Amino acid sequence: MGGNGREVAERVEAPAVRVVDLGRRFGRVWAVRHVTLTVPPGRVLLVSGPNGSGKTTLLRLLATALRPTTGGGAVFGCDLVAAADRVREVVGLVGATFGGYDLLTARENLEFAAAMWGRPTDVEPWLRRVGLSAVADRPVRTFSQGMKRRLALARVWLAGPRLLLLDEPYAGLDREGTDLISAMVADVTGQGGSAVIATHDRDRARALADLELVLQDGEPVVLRARAAAAPAGVASGGGP
Amino acid sequence: MTGWARAAAVARKDLRMEWRGRAAAVTSLLTGLLLVLVLGVALGPDPARAAAVVWVAVGSAAAVGIPRITQAEADQQALEALLLYPGRREHLYWGKAASLAVLLGAVAAVVLAVAGVLFALPLGGRLVPLAAVTGAGVASLAALGTLLAGLLLHVRGRELLMPLLLLPLALPPLLACIRLTDAILTGTPAGVWPGVLAAAVAVFGLACPILFEVVVDDA
Repeated sequence: MGGNGREVAERVEAPAVRVVDLGRRFGRVWAVRHVTLTVPPGRVLLVSGPNGSGKTTLLRLLATALRPTTGGGAVFGCDLVAAADRVREVVGLVGATFGGYDLLTARENLEFAAAMWGRPTDVEPWLRRVGLSAVADRPVRTFSQGMKRRLALARVWLAGPRLLLLDEPYAGLDREGTDLISAMVADVTGQGGSAVIATHDRDRARALADLELVLQDGEPVVLRARAAAAPAGVASGGGP
Repeated sequence: MTGWARAAAVARKDLRMEWRGRAAAVTSLLTGLLLVLVLGVALGPDPARAAAVVWVAVGSAAAVGIPRITQAEADQQALEALLLYPGRREHLYWGKAASLAVLLGAVAAVVLAVAGVLFALPLGGRLVPLAAVTGAGVASLAALGTLLAGLLLHVRGRELLMPLLLLPLALPPLLACIRLTDAILTGTPAGVWPGVLAAAVAVFGLACPILFEVVVDDA
């Protein structure tokens, strides 16, 4: 096997997420620090904590939207800083906001996302999947928050991410929308991927999670495996 | 999927949104037309001043319109999603620069046509060289403007800062466009100005995409 082949094999076997002493500071305020954890492929990590505890910042660090101030990590073997381009190929972040364009229709938004991800631009199956077929050609500015949320899910789902990052995914969603989250997570983990769900709505997300990280003022206070048999290699949380 | 296909997708998306919202187009066009009309009336119909009036109007229209090309992404918090798509960010730059060039090209064409009427310019028969100069001038403004739009994205008061940064930096290509437009209209020698304009297009085209990747990183 050549060097490139070895590199690929290492990535296939690599943890979905591995971060060591990860930290990010804005000015003099630490949004996240001392986070050390490993998420094996096929597992779901629930990140919970009160508002301002650093959940969104942690997700943005894993998505390469932010550079770490301290520590570092890798997603499926790709370094968050040195190989950020490769991380972006396998990570899909559904942020707390819609992240699309109000002046475009739902179909146009998904066609643009598909083009940017290099996926087929026939987006009808994805519109059907999130229940937006009937309003596919309406401008997104006429959508409710819940409909925008569904569109945001489809925008990332069509990319087939190996690591799915969901930031407050239940906000504005009805029961069917909540079921979509479960289906999306099952779809990603079923294909060997992983998911990280950041929410303060722990009760809903617990059913999906294998691991749980609780943040307080940016620092991990609890990191535990929720499954009866804790997967090997799930590291303990760092910090105090 | 190549990076250029991604760039084309960004350009199509920006133009489609501009067509529906017309935020940058209307502002730029009104600014350009207002300046041509005011300067045309103030200076009188002297064809010798037409080239300067046209390019002052185009430069000012660009300075007013460029901050709005990233406004939609900033307002709708779509910028982060755009930056997190895979592929090099240089291709986002080229997509945005292409859509801006189309927009500024349209504004420049209208400004030139109105100036042609106001200053009684002999545009007929000179359209090809005028289009070449306008195209190069617009390309250099779009290349520089896209970089500055990325740089000022999260800066409060970017509408004020844009002219302060754009116009001094774009002075060499703007001066070259004024001299070349004048040379085409009056039939005088162009001198060194074709080289100045070509150099500006080349320098901006090479440096700005690289700098764009730096300025939007960890935005």
